[in-house]
Amino acid sequence: MRLLEQQLIQLRGFRNAKIADNVIGFQVPIRLTYYRGVWASQLRAATVTVNGEVYANEQVFWTIDGNTIEQSELASTTDVHWNSMNTAILTVRKEGGLTPGVYDVKVSYDFSSSYLPPAIDTGYFETKGERKMVLVK
Amino acid sequence: MTTKIPKTGVSLYSYAGEFGVSMTLEDCFAEMNDLGTQGLEILANAHIQNYPNPTEEWLEEWRRLLKVYDIIPVEYGHWVDSRMIPGRELTTQESYERLIKDIKLAGKLGFTVLRTKLGVIDFDLNPVPNWREFIEMALPLAEEHGVVMCPEIHQPTELNSKMVSDYVEFIEKTGTKHFGLNIDFGIFQTAERMVVPGFDNPPSTPEEIIPFLPYTYACHAKFIHMTEDFIEPTHPYEAIIKVLKENNWGGYMLSEYEGKNKDLAGYATDQVRKHHVMMNNFLSK
Repeated sequence: MRLLEQQLIQLRGFRNAKIADNVIGFQVPIRLTYYRGVWASQLRAATVTVNGEVYANEQVFWTIDGNTIEQSELASTTDVHWNSMNTAILTVRKEGGLTPGVYDVKVSYDFSSSYLPPAIDTGYFETKGERKMVLVK
Repeated sequence: MTTKIPKTGVSLYSYAGEFGVSMTLEDCFAEMNDLGTQGLEILANAHIQNYPNPTEEWLEEWRRLLKVYDIIPVEYGHWVDSRMIPGRELTTQESYERLIKDIKLAGKLGFTVLRTKLGVIDFDLNPVPNWREFIEMALPLAEEHGVVMCPEIHQPTELNSKMVSDYVEFIEKTGTKHFGLNIDFGIFQTAERMVVPGFDNPPSTPEEIIPFLPYTYACHAKFIHMTEDFIEPTHPYEAIIKVLKENNWGGYMLSEYEGKNKDLAGYATDQVRKHHVMMNNFLSK
């Protein structure tokens, strides 16, 4: 197994995202800091903030274990598992991506956990991370 | 009658802050081997790569690690996440299908006890109302794979409670040997207890476990702080282990560290080592 960084936002993998030769945006790799894995349907929409600019909902999609999942599809994706040993990638749609440089990146996401009472089964594990990130290309 | 005494082990939950960051699965096993302990608890969806479908290569590595580090797979932690689909509860059939995957995988990995965490419906931690139905559906498969499904009895639940009586009633009614209890020692915690709004439950006393021991297949040896002189000031360990010994209970006490600094490299491992010194001391008395 490959070890990850302690922080929620992982430096390795922070880069512009391409489809063929088109830069469609940039990607932010994150770690599941929870002690067990979760199914995609347990996740709630993530928010990515870069230098104060907020990206949410359809501006962001997930890649978990090689599967691409729109945030609107998370709730119905019951067969993709995010193991705590692996990163998930949040791709932010932004024409042209980011230019090389240092960015202040924030990520927040949430998930449900059914062993908690329904009233607090989301919110309790809401997860936030913030990091100065270097984008090379 | 053979005299039995509790055996020791480690729940890898103890190392959760370091697992995947500064400890691999092999590091966890090596640490257990160094403690001279054998009983292993994993959390299926944390420690099994590609859960719930590990590769043949991973399974081969699993068998190698068990052998090299002399580890006995005891308890397989898994969840029926009843609200895994937003807005509704899993049906009985869907819950049963969750159990099938885990029972088969646990059996394949050599585990004998399942810590079956059920979805709850309220702050009393009462389980979903259809638990009897899907557990009963899964009993034949559990028998086939040689495992026993055990919900965890955890703070703020008390031993003498309707929830525990309901589980016992189910065991007695079905006569099953494939459903039982996992007792978390946190129910005995005397200081720094969990703060749950609306609950002011007193801790259960160690003696209260006696009538439940025939149904108890594993215990989480919960601890939150070990002192330099090997005392856990918040749980009555000496009394707990005395009761288990006097009552010939031969199951596993799996160290479950739930204190601070889990993310600090080396902190939890230090705590688990001290915890084992303490358990070994009380076991040899």
